[in-house]
Amino acid sequence: MLRMENVSKIYRTELIETHALRKVDLHIKSGEFVSVTGPSGSGKTTFLNLAGALETFEEGDYFLDGQNVKGLSDDRLSEIRNEKIGFIFQSFNLLPDLPLFDNVDVPLRYRGMSKKERKERIEHALETVGLVSRMKHLPTQLSGGQQQRVAIARAIAGEPKFLLADEPTGNLDSLMAQQVMELLEDINSKGTTIIMVTHDDQLARRAHRNIQIFDGQVSDLEKSIVDDVIRSA
Amino acid sequence: MLSYNFELALKSLKDRPSLTFLTILAIAIGLGLYTTVKTMSYQGGQVPLAHKSENIFLVQMDNREITAEEISHQSRLVDTTYKDTLNLMDMDLPGVRQSFNWSTYGILNVEDENINPQRTTAAVINSDFFTMFELPFLYGNGWDKTIEDSGEAVIVISKLMNDKLFGGKNSVGQTVRINNHILKVLGVLDTWYLPSKFYNRSFWPGYPDNFFIPYTFAINNEMPRSAGFDCWAANAEIARSFRTENTERLINSECAWVTFWAEIPDEQFDNYQHQLVSYIEDQKALGRFPREILTYLTNLNDQFTYINGRNDFMNVFGILSTLFFAVCLLNAVGILLAKFMRRTKEVSLRRALGAKKRTIIMQHVIEVVIIGLLGGLLGIVVSYFGLQGMMNIHIYQSDYSVRVEDIKPLFQMDLTMIGYAFITGIICTLVTSIYPIWRICNIPPASQLKSQ
Repeated sequence: MLRMENVSKIYRTELIETHALRKVDLHIKSGEFVSVTGPSGSGKTTFLNLAGALETFEEGDYFLDGQNVKGLSDDRLSEIRNEKIGFIFQSFNLLPDLPLFDNVDVPLRYRGMSKKERKERIEHALETVGLVSRMKHLPTQLSGGQQQRVAIARAIAGEPKFLLADEPTGNLDSLMAQQVMELLEDINSKGTTIIMVTHDDQLARRAHRNIQIFDGQVSDLEKSIVDDVIRSA
Repeated sequence: MLSYNFELALKSLKDRPSLTFLTILAIAIGLGLYTTVKTMSYQGGQVPLAHKSENIFLVQMDNREITAEEISHQSRLVDTTYKDTLNLMDMDLPGVRQSFNWSTYGILNVEDENINPQRTTAAVINSDFFTMFELPFLYGNGWDKTIEDSGEAVIVISKLMNDKLFGGKNSVGQTVRINNHILKVLGVLDTWYLPSKFYNRSFWPGYPDNFFIPYTFAINNEMPRSAGFDCWAANAEIARSFRTENTERLINSECAWVTFWAEIPDEQFDNYQHQLVSYIEDQKALGRFPREILTYLTNLNDQFTYINGRNDFMNVFGILSTLFFAVCLLNAVGILLAKFMRRTKEVSLRRALGAKKRTIIMQHVIEVVIIGLLGGLLGIVVSYFGLQGMMNIHIYQSDYSVRVEDIKPLFQMDLTMIGYAFITGIICTLVTSIYPIWRICNIPPASQLKSQ
């Protein structure tokens, strides 16, 4: 489903080269819920950006849903992001001057769907996150947890195969974080693969698998080991 | 996708309307001034009598002294002497029409003491002037050769003079007094719009003379001459006096002051030129034309091409207005750049959610085109008021001796200029917006998503 082979990412300036990811080998199967942990600056966000085809990389190969994304054109990468991937961000990244309906509509617009189909999908996605009754509200009229649920609705409206979540509960209190996590688990249970970057050990433990990134290198741990690593940390 | 981009562009225009308005205003003011100058230049540079401008020629012959300096351009060559004028008029070629003129002035009076006398400029002409330059008549007509040869005291007045002296009524058959002479009105001109007064080579923009009298009458009655005289050394000292006296000496001198025109059909051009040279050869035998034979036949098109290129006032004004427009555009681009860069986060998000680079470009191009269109529209309004202002200045400069309707076309945008303003507005806005659009569409999709 998602396979990285020897993927490296280097940021270069005139003076310095920074190896953000070093020879990452990774395979995530369809339907998995994978947490990504690691200290700040270890390369988690870079990993997520590569996985989400938001950035290009220099070395290795990355197969997403069977297609090698290395060397694809900018247009093709946009199509892949639009059709195969849903993004959830720590700071929600909703457009503040658009009602919820229009926020969820953004990725669907770029897919060129009919108005009727878009409406059905948006309503269904908002219903899934329990906010269909507030579709005409602006994001600023919602709580943080509700805004993150709108972001999740936007991510799932296009029925992507992957959800990439970058600290989705980082800006939420524990109760709201719990609700969002339950929502993600529910989505995962319906077959969507989820990769979630988090600092929260408890949340990480709820994933099927944990990937740890230290200094740009990935340790892929099975569920049984995850608990041990977290326990000993 | 186009409709969605259009929606987004409109939304962006409504977002921070003050910035949008400032951008449009900057474009409109720059474009308005630029179009004002362009319109004046375009209208003033129009060649009159376009249907036969190829065939109307200014006739020039070099009758100067042997010691005269070389001229830098044919336009610098002297006009024609009075005796050469009369001699050339004897030339008889089928289809060829010849006319000449010089400037005069006078105070026009009528019997009615309630009417103020009118001091105005005028032209001394021959009868063919009316037909060659196609003067439009409201009442009556010009004079024929018989009247001209008899030296009869007749006059054709402009519509403006007819309005002022006769209240706009048909004044044909009425008399006017110029200085101490009584002249009978033979015709009243309708509005005769000229882009510039080319027939006396002044190329002064906007309006013709206010009365026309036969050259025979003007010579016989020593009407004043407001021409410049190019005289040989023998007459140089008294040349100034030729303006108001010494007519007999002037008309027999080698002083050139008459502007001479010929309307020559294509098939007669070579014959005319040949006859001109023959004439000069004959005159050489009589001791005149001491220099090498030099003649010029310059048609109206060529004259206007030359004059338009040398219109220093319009050229400088044109450069200044272009620079001002460029500064306004730079300002507009600065505002646009600030406006666009405010939405880097939104663009980054849209790119992450699947917007292609060209979609982002299209969205911003649409926005810029709308701004260019609105700037163009407002620019035309600004230009309208600019042209009105320039027209009023022109009327003031002419000491109110010209009416709005006489010069209105000079200060009016026609469809060509309106189209030009629109297209210029849009294209210039688009071209100068390339940088802001390039900046915004190159925002990497991942660059702004982590920020709070």
